[in-house]
Amino acid sequence: MAHALSFALSDEGVVRIHDALICLAKFGEQVSLEARHDRLTLAALNSSKTAYASFCLDKTTFFQNYHYSPSEAQSQRAEAEAEPRFTCQLYNKALLSVFKGRLADNRERGTAVERCEVHVQDEPDNVECRFVVKMICRHGVIKTYKLTFEPVEVIHALFDKQNAKNKWKIESNVLRTFIEYFGAGTELLDIYSEEGRVTLTSYTEKVINDMDILKHPLRTSIAIDTLDFEEFIVEEKLRIGITVKDFKAIVTHAERLKTSVTAMYSYPTRPMQLAYGEHGMLCEFTLVTIGEYRGGSATPAPTNTRSLSRTESEQRRSQQASQQPEPVPSDPSSRQSSVHAQTLKQRATADMPPPVEPASRSFIKDIERQRPLRPTPPPPKASLDPESLFLPADNMEDENVWDERSYEDEQDVLGWNPHANRESFSQSFHSFRQDQETTPENLRAEPEDRDMRVPPTQKLSDIRGMFDED
Amino acid sequence: MATDGNAERPLFSAVSNSARQLFLLLRCISFAPKAQVQITQKGLRFSAEESQVMQGLVFLEKSLFTSYTYTKPVNENIDDDDDEDTFPIFQISLSSLLETLQIFGINDIKDRSTNHEASYGANGAFARGGAASAFETRFLGMTGMCRLSYAADGDPLRITLEETGVTTNCELTTFEPEFREEILLQRENLAQKIIMRASWLHDAINELSSTSPSRLTIAASPSAPYFTLSSNGPLGSAMVEFSKDPQLLETFQVPSRTVNTYKYSLIKSASRAMEIASKVSIRCDEQGVLSLQFMIEVEGGGVSFVDFRFVPYLSQDDEGDEEGDTVEDVGSE
Repeated sequence: MAHALSFALSDEGVVRIHDALICLAKFGEQVSLEARHDRLTLAALNSSKTAYASFCLDKTTFFQNYHYSPSEAQSQRAEAEAEPRFTCQLYNKALLSVFKGRLADNRERGTAVERCEVHVQDEPDNVECRFVVKMICRHGVIKTYKLTFEPVEVIHALFDKQNAKNKWKIESNVLRTFIEYFGAGTELLDIYSEEGRVTLTSYTEKVINDMDILKHPLRTSIAIDTLDFEEFIVEEKLRIGITVKDFKAIVTHAERLKTSVTAMYSYPTRPMQLAYGEHGMLCEFTLVTIGEYRGGSATPAPTNTRSLSRTESEQRRSQQASQQPEPVPSDPSSRQSSVHAQTLKQRATADMPPPVEPASRSFIKDIERQRPLRPTPPPPKASLDPESLFLPADNMEDENVWDERSYEDEQDVLGWNPHANRESFSQSFHSFRQDQETTPENLRAEPEDRDMRVPPTQKLSDIRGMFDED
Repeated sequence: MATDGNAERPLFSAVSNSARQLFLLLRCISFAPKAQVQITQKGLRFSAEESQVMQGLVFLEKSLFTSYTYTKPVNENIDDDDDEDTFPIFQISLSSLLETLQIFGINDIKDRSTNHEASYGANGAFARGGAASAFETRFLGMTGMCRLSYAADGDPLRITLEETGVTTNCELTTFEPEFREEILLQRENLAQKIIMRASWLHDAINELSSTSPSRLTIAASPSAPYFTLSSNGPLGSAMVEFSKDPQLLETFQVPSRTVNTYKYSLIKSASRAMEIASKVSIRCDEQGVLSLQFMIEVEGGGVSFVDFRFVPYLSQDDEGDEEGDTVEDVGSE
């Protein structure tokens, strides 16, 4: 009998599905399932719509066999979309009990699962529509489950990878050891990087009444060297917040796959994506972030310069010359280039790769401020905005999905103003150069500058005063 | 006959070397608060009952005890020895009995991983205060001595437990028996007889719990599917199907297809027996009365049997049947 959707899993596949379901259960009660001709996606969206988890299972590598034949209705619908798909929603609780941990204890008892076959009964002439799971065990024991499902339109969170300039990648087991330190009552996780160190702070502000455990707001900070990351390209002094619960759920699952987690984000209030994949399973999590993007304290990330060559960016700068001195970019790429234009003026060599050393990165620091010696506590702020991650889309490419909000218009609101920075920077930069000759010790004390001047971290008057005393 | 003590010789007295053994067996039928005890010459018969549709029976054989004496009541001159009614029968609180038997701590095999210093065991006084695993009798090479005695009709059941010099005396009030008939299985009209490993049945019953069912349907058939357990719930249905593989179903005697439905929670309450038993015999007569007989290996190599009987739900075509109506009433409560 031909089914709309059928696939088979090995015993390991069953365990992986179970792991994924456990992770999804931490996001939502329901699991949505989307089948396409080449992949199956399990996804969950939490009730406040601030976190979205999806597990994309590859047709060839994850499944023993996989077959999806769209029904007529689905094909018709597909004309409006890119490709036909079958979507439905199931209770995770029901799925979990079907795929529950079978590997460990049952193997000795002799009825371990050898193979799992799933098909969906969804024919128009069939009265009973069911999601049928058949666990075929040793000695010919067959366990069949027929689960009810709800046909729904599945929505996915979109993530704009183009604009997510901040990226890091780290072994999941490293993160796993860290999350153990996060207090059970903490809610928010703050990620902050400065001078080659990344600080993860879990904290809460809410004091839960009638609970003795949490009388006071609890805060746990863990500092990691960026060298512990496989990849680390993050704007200096960027502070971004997500929820501890989501992070823990993700790391716990990633650790089961023994793979590295990649995080991508642009700036606070815009979504962050955590992703990893192994064994034909691609796991992506899109999370709302909180925090304030402080224009005064952070200039554009140096990584912006990487995407454009010098000539290209200079061309763009000339194109935008008419818009000066206040360019209001209308699309992400033009904003990027205008950012670059600003950067170019500051630096003699624009083709240089973005600095990796923390010392070099201090280049972008706010010179008006004293550098704090220790990481400051996270800015307690910004309750989760349920609207910021998922919003109905106006223009859709191929699927019925929600897009991110266009943030370009809000640039000024965020207080991101390269102009003021540049002026103040160049002023002090010049005075710093003048100062160098008189205070060679100061120069030596500065890190190697690779053709790029590092702004002073102390007020010039202070420095001068110090040497006057000598 | 009477000793120098204050009474004549008790009606019954028995000594067991292992209170744990008695505990594990009796716990199988702990689904009911009270159990009926019948003392016979061959052993102690404990039975528990639920809504007259389920019965659990544990027979503590004479061989489980190191000494077992049953003295027929001398004042009643009844000739017919074999008449069951002459054997004393009473009810006791099963939960209290179980509590008593584990007063020195009885651990499941799983919990026994922590082996504390045996030296503590010498000081029996510590044995009462928690940390039972430290005083696990197996480690210490001594067993929990347990003496049961029942002086005369209407007297309490006396239990004396002794361990490393500490003695606990317990008197459990006995009650008048409430029920006497057992759910009858027509052994000569068996519709099915299946013997399999108890753990597999346990596994299957647990598997079905995922649908949070109220009823369990057991079907056996001489052709495939041979033996299935299935249930329905709000989220869907589940079915466990066993093939005829002799490794799986040791004995499979099903002359014709039978389908019966039972209350799931009742069958589930036999889980304790499924856990510790090695084999189970699943029998069903033509009326659908289900018997689950569990073979439990006891310490020292012998076996004990724990028996459960279940009355089925009335199936569609039996409707109107007198007996069936009463069953349905009870089942739907």
